[in-house]
Amino acid sequence: MTNSIRRRLVIGSAALTATALALAGCGRSEDSPESAPTATTSVGSGPATGELTVWAMGTEGENLPKLLTSFQQANPGVKVTVTPIPWDAAHNKFTTAITAQSLPDAAMVGTTWMGEFADLGALDPTPSSIDTSGFFPGALDTTKVGDVSYGVPWYVETRLVYYRKDLAAKAGITTPPTDWDGLKAMTKAMQDKAGAKYGINLQPGGQGSWQTVMPFAWSAGANLTTDDDKQFTFDTPEMQEGLKYYQSFFTEKLAGTDLPPNQTEAQFVSGQVPMFISGPWMVGSIAKLGGDKMKQNIGVFEIPKNKTSTSFVGGSNFVVFKTSKNKDSAWKLVQWLSDPKTQAEWFKQSTDLPAVQSAWQDPSIASDPLLPVFGKQLETAKAPPAIVNWEQVATAFDAEIEKLAKAGQSPADTAKATQAKAASIGTGS
Amino acid sequence: MMRRTWWIYLIGVLGLIAVAAPFAWMFLGSFKTQGELLRVPPTWWPEAPTTQNYDDLFNKANFPRYFLNSTIVALAVTAGNLVFCSMIGYALAKLRFKGRNALFLLVMATLMVPGMVTFVPLFVLVTNAGLANSYPGLILPFLVSPFGVFLMRQFFSGLPDDLMDAGRVDGSSELGIFARIMLPLTRPALATLGILTFLGSWNNFLWPLVIAQTEDKYTLPVALALYSTGQNAQNFGLLMAGAVVVVIPVLVMFLAFQRHVTKGIAITGIK
Repeated sequence: MTNSIRRRLVIGSAALTATALALAGCGRSEDSPESAPTATTSVGSGPATGELTVWAMGTEGENLPKLLTSFQQANPGVKVTVTPIPWDAAHNKFTTAITAQSLPDAAMVGTTWMGEFADLGALDPTPSSIDTSGFFPGALDTTKVGDVSYGVPWYVETRLVYYRKDLAAKAGITTPPTDWDGLKAMTKAMQDKAGAKYGINLQPGGQGSWQTVMPFAWSAGANLTTDDDKQFTFDTPEMQEGLKYYQSFFTEKLAGTDLPPNQTEAQFVSGQVPMFISGPWMVGSIAKLGGDKMKQNIGVFEIPKNKTSTSFVGGSNFVVFKTSKNKDSAWKLVQWLSDPKTQAEWFKQSTDLPAVQSAWQDPSIASDPLLPVFGKQLETAKAPPAIVNWEQVATAFDAEIEKLAKAGQSPADTAKATQAKAASIGTGS
Repeated sequence: MMRRTWWIYLIGVLGLIAVAAPFAWMFLGSFKTQGELLRVPPTWWPEAPTTQNYDDLFNKANFPRYFLNSTIVALAVTAGNLVFCSMIGYALAKLRFKGRNALFLLVMATLMVPGMVTFVPLFVLVTNAGLANSYPGLILPFLVSPFGVFLMRQFFSGLPDDLMDAGRVDGSSELGIFARIMLPLTRPALATLGILTFLGSWNNFLWPLVIAQTEDKYTLPVALALYSTGQNAQNFGLLMAGAVVVVIPVLVMFLAFQRHVTKGIAITGIK
């Protein structure tokens, strides 16, 4: 997975973050999250005015100014400055800026950072006048820390099962499977009849592998935490069932632990491993590698069902910072960004999938051969809880998944060990 | 003769390969497509050489601006270090005044504090001084380094006092003794300090990232990270092309000064 490289870079600079947080911890006496935040309860109806600074990461930061030209046309009194920030170091930049209170008015924020930033007292709660009913529920959950909502989902992604249509036909699969037995049978057929080395590419541990494991565990009815996000629930029969299913692909040699990393696209194109589970960006990566002809051969289907079919929802949120001096206009910008029309326009410019459900009716998305499947999956997709220590817990979980896949650690032991580690790390709030 | 030295050459050649191969890989890689870069087994020569990565780099990104920023910052920081570190080093080594050793110990003590610890306080300080998102904010905190002071002090200590006395007898001012007699003798140390400082500033990533609030103040490494790394995918070709462009000034600088540098390191090491 290519995103593991980025993550490793982020982890590499974790020492700095830790310092920043430690200092933030001692330095904020007046600004502790316990003191009731001065919430913006409603957004004015007039046009946005004044100056707004916005931070956004990577390509989003590069493309956003173009999208904002129409916002500025509608609000002539406003001037928005967008600063693009490298993904690698964005987390460091945010935590340092939070400590020094030198934040922009609004920013794009990774969904897994919400708990941490909210706990640092940096985020402005979402005004009640902003309508959040149109978002995908899983994506909306990522903005909720405890009982308070901060910001809105901006764009989303979810994970599906990818497969080579031509090789599936060769293997005698005409309709994609919908349940666990079906998926197993399909990977086996890919291996037996379509010449694949392994039926499916599953990450055997390492950074981010929980994102591939959890769709199965969620589908089996597992949860990461109790409803109030206070306790972890890794050691449950449902979680074990998900882990057991995941492990079975490795024990039955349908997925490999001996494949070189970062080769998912290449192995898909060569037919060596014609299936994998990943997000919407892979369509572009595969087309880049294999050309337009290969693009015709890409098929996707929803995570197969056990009790449910529940995938992982990721993406980014848009937040307003408490230190902003122009909150009213900042929230107007956020409101405008989550308008279905803006969301559809943003998709055309950036290929980021809309977080607002109604934007998916736009023909540019609805007529795509693959995208509607993502939309369907997003309706039920789940996100990890917005807790401060989630990244740390995820790292521990990844390590246990590696033992499960590579060293044959039993699902029961894996669940127990992860629960013990997670409990000792704590939720952090 | 040949029998005794051939293995020295062999080790030398192996060392050269170990050092040069990654550069060659980077350079050749910058002409490959993303697909070819990720292929296993890897290719050495680009199959279908493309300049697409360089096109992207110079067209898509505001590259000349980042290059200019990096150059301004690195040159200013280097100049500042050469001037201030040599002055302080000279004072600590050659001038006699009360508390000199205590002052030197203080300088040494700051060497022991990891940069990560002072990073956030420094950022708060610079921001409160109103220097965020400005060239002074990028340059000022690095104008003098404890390591530079240490290096220069050690070098000055090795120069005989007789030279200064000779200058005084001939009626030179104290400033003249420093600038015209002593400083020219430290050229190897200055070259070492200059190169190390330039390299450090040129490669500095975290500080410019945090202090620059708008894109037009980004330096090369920050801009490179911005354009080559996405949320879920990396553009390795662009990264390679950017790395080539970033590395060229450093290589040029090193080739120009390498004679002084190796001499400087050797001499400061002995004394």
